[in-house]
Amino acid sequence: MTRLPAPPPLDVKNVMWLLAAMVFVVAPHLMRLPSWVGIFFGVVVAWRAWIAWAALRLPPRMLVLLITAAAAVGTFLQYQRITGREAGVTLLVVMASLKVLEMRSQREVVLSIYLGFFLVMTNFLFSQSIPLGLYMLVCVWLFIATLVGFNRVGSSPTILERLRPAGALLLQALPLMAAFFILFPRVQGPLWAVPQDARGASSGLSDSMTPGQFASLIKSDAIAFRVQWHGERPPFPAMYWRGPVMTLFDGRSWHVQRELLAGDGLHYAASGHPVSYSVTVEPSTKNWLFALDVPAAPPKGAYALQDLQLRSYRPLDQRTRFEMTSYLQYRYLQGSGPITLELASRFDDTRNPRTVALGREWARELDHDPRRIIDRAVLFFNREFTYTLEPPLLDPVNPYDDFLFRTKRGFCEHYAGSFALLMRAAGIPARVVTGYQGGEVNPLNNELIVRQADAHAWTEVWIADQGWVRVDPTAVVSPLRVENGVNAALGPIGISSAIMAADKLGIISSMHFAWQYMNSQWDQWVVGYNVDKQRQFFSDMGFRNVDWRTLAFWLMVAIFIVGGAVTLGLLLRERQPRADPSLAAWNRFCAKLAAAGLARAAQEGPLDYLARVKAQRPDWATEAEEITRRYIDARYGSGASREDIQLLATLVRDFRAA
Amino acid sequence: MAASLRQAISDWIFRAAAPETPPVTLIQRRIFILPTRMGYVFAGTVLVLLLSSINYALSLGFVLTFLLMSMAAVAMLHTWRNLAHLKLRPGRCEPVFAGDVAHFGVTVETPSLTRFAIALRRREGDPVYADVGVREPATIWMPVQTQARGLLRCGRLEVFTRYPVGLFHAWSYVEFDLKVIVYPRPDAAAGPPPQNAGSAAEEGIPIPGDDEFNMLRAYRAGDAPKLIAWKALAREQGLLTKEFNATASAELWLDYDEAPGGDVEKRLSALAHWVLKAEDYGQAYGLRIPGTRVPPDRGDAHCRRCLEALALYRLEP
Repeated sequence: MTRLPAPPPLDVKNVMWLLAAMVFVVAPHLMRLPSWVGIFFGVVVAWRAWIAWAALRLPPRMLVLLITAAAAVGTFLQYQRITGREAGVTLLVVMASLKVLEMRSQREVVLSIYLGFFLVMTNFLFSQSIPLGLYMLVCVWLFIATLVGFNRVGSSPTILERLRPAGALLLQALPLMAAFFILFPRVQGPLWAVPQDARGASSGLSDSMTPGQFASLIKSDAIAFRVQWHGERPPFPAMYWRGPVMTLFDGRSWHVQRELLAGDGLHYAASGHPVSYSVTVEPSTKNWLFALDVPAAPPKGAYALQDLQLRSYRPLDQRTRFEMTSYLQYRYLQGSGPITLELASRFDDTRNPRTVALGREWARELDHDPRRIIDRAVLFFNREFTYTLEPPLLDPVNPYDDFLFRTKRGFCEHYAGSFALLMRAAGIPARVVTGYQGGEVNPLNNELIVRQADAHAWTEVWIADQGWVRVDPTAVVSPLRVENGVNAALGPIGISSAIMAADKLGIISSMHFAWQYMNSQWDQWVVGYNVDKQRQFFSDMGFRNVDWRTLAFWLMVAIFIVGGAVTLGLLLRERQPRADPSLAAWNRFCAKLAAAGLARAAQEGPLDYLARVKAQRPDWATEAEEITRRYIDARYGSGASREDIQLLATLVRDFRAA
Repeated sequence: MAASLRQAISDWIFRAAAPETPPVTLIQRRIFILPTRMGYVFAGTVLVLLLSSINYALSLGFVLTFLLMSMAAVAMLHTWRNLAHLKLRPGRCEPVFAGDVAHFGVTVETPSLTRFAIALRRREGDPVYADVGVREPATIWMPVQTQARGLLRCGRLEVFTRYPVGLFHAWSYVEFDLKVIVYPRPDAAAGPPPQNAGSAAEEGIPIPGDDEFNMLRAYRAGDAPKLIAWKALAREQGLLTKEFNATASAELWLDYDEAPGGDVEKRLSALAHWVLKAEDYGQAYGLRIPGTRVPPDRGDAHCRRCLEALALYRLEP
């Protein structure tokens, strides 16, 4: 007695596809997460592959539960919590691998694929670059291909038979996706509290400065911000990007002063032409902005402190663009009350005693004349100091003594810090300004890219009749640093710089700039496409003040048009069965005869028709017979070559039934 | 939910459906499409992805979300297109014995584009899948476990597909006059058929058979080669066929009243067993059941006719 067969187990090939897609999507994470996560994931996936391959039984539920609990505990021990970016992603990777391990039905497979889409999303928390975007597109393609494989019930499709339909689906989805991307009304997030480290907490300047702290920054190729000029670009030596201003000094570190600073506008006397430009700041957890020294007014969404620092109201946790104007020539006299000056003169004379003594000595010697003291200090630095990014370690208690009198090797923060301390000791109010200096110009669009490597620190000193004056002791030690950037001063840093240096012909550098340009466009228009960008896009198109209702309307229109076009394209292709070319030729032949009054009757076969044609028009007999014979051969014979059909078509074309 | 809705739609649309004349083409208005349960889960997934994109301000998250969303929309068209304009014809259904698996066959043909994972299923039953190529019609056999003898009707068929991504279920109904004759299950316990039942001699009609050599007659097209008188051919007497007469004693009537077993089904099972045995012995046999009489004969067609008579005995029309 034959019985109905039991439902088949999951197809091995399909399971392998899913595992491969999972490995693809998790791979970028494994470089960011602790190594045990990678090992765990690898082992579980290999185990599942082995189970599928050897048709073994799945591990018992209890065991899977146990492993789950162990992995959750591991995650907690690693991060001391299970929320936050790294911990959350770790947990998701662990859960996804366990889901894969225990999947037994098709439904669980599909759920695993959906989980895969979340894993794609989590990758974007770390990077939204072009390469990662393309890579993730491939991952989505693999997942859809897996889905296609699972839905080819009853047959085992080839690799191409999975990838092709999946690729077609994605390609045909692109127009509609683009319409949604552009038109879907963006809202200002977040909807719920975002953990502090949810977005890439890129390194950057902090609100304190300790000697040696910049070194890692200066070796980083990461972009801090980009600048587009709305006019002429100022010369490099003038490009001081003003950031956190540090007035408080504890003998070792300089700190931003948090209180008493809320300014009521910017007070300085500007002269010369303003420079206007826009700054696109990379996401960070901080909220300060960088403007050319000195900003004319705080841009929209930001405010200025008394010491001319700009701060954004919201943390800059996404790429944000600010329109700025600066004056490069100014006299910064006002807005510095007695408290500010008092704070800018404080120092602890029990620490760095030799530095303090030197400052005091200069003051005595030079009659407390600020200009002469500054000149003396500049001379001092000019004589025997070396600019290097690998400075020796300094004494933690008296670092500046150690630096000035022993090592004499350092970079901007050493110079700025010790210079400011010397000034204070000499009775001149001084403070450290951190920020960036210079940048790299992309010749393709004249855009300036400022990297972490361009981080810089300089000083401002107070001179009674001139106000705050910028003095950059680093420029004295290493003039190249300020004129040509940090690479010129130090030689190439990092891989890309090394390649650039070896590039004699400039091919690599032009490719490099083209790539930079593409990245910049990508960052601005794709990654940075937010509420403001959307509004800007539409005002560029001539629609002012679009609100979400207008957007929703246009979205509907776009869905209708784009969706309609795709639908028609798909369904029209279906409607046209591939016509047999020999039949088409025959039909044309019949049409010609019909036009001559010899229409073929519906029930008439080709041979009967031929007989009738021959009887009625003996003059056409030869041609008609040739055509009919060839048609019958092609259509009902053992198969006609392309040439045969071509010949038939030619015969029909040349046939004149006049 | 989708399943019950589908059921409701189908009940409403095919209230008293008469079998359709083949072939049936699945034209546009015969095809329905709804998301599958996994389709709804997918929608939920996309919604969560959208909310995350908004919350974390992930532009590429938006790209992913909208790409998946649009992919689903395109997939709906693909699923629909995978089913549209298919041509269906009923196939031949071989009779089976009760308890065996019968197969209803439906031939599916596509005018254009290869169709993948086209499924057919009866109202209660597992779907059977097949790929259908252009100019390569596929016949889908739906297995059904038979229980009792009789006439098993296929009933309304659902033809559906979820290809390519399983987010949508496109389906249509067809109702062909498909049926399988289910013979009674032969009951081996009935023993060999009785050898003397009835009497053909009384009726005085010679029954053609092959038990006893009777005469030679001229060859007629279709005569079995083993019946050809090869010796006569060798003697150059032409192509002759040997003719035999079955002896009256070998003639067999399988009678309902003689079949063992208390109830109708038992008797039918015994008779089915006898029919097969008699056919095995190469005897000519006739069948007598109340209301039907199959005159003695032998051969495959005769055997089928007898079993059919048993299968359909006293069935509601």
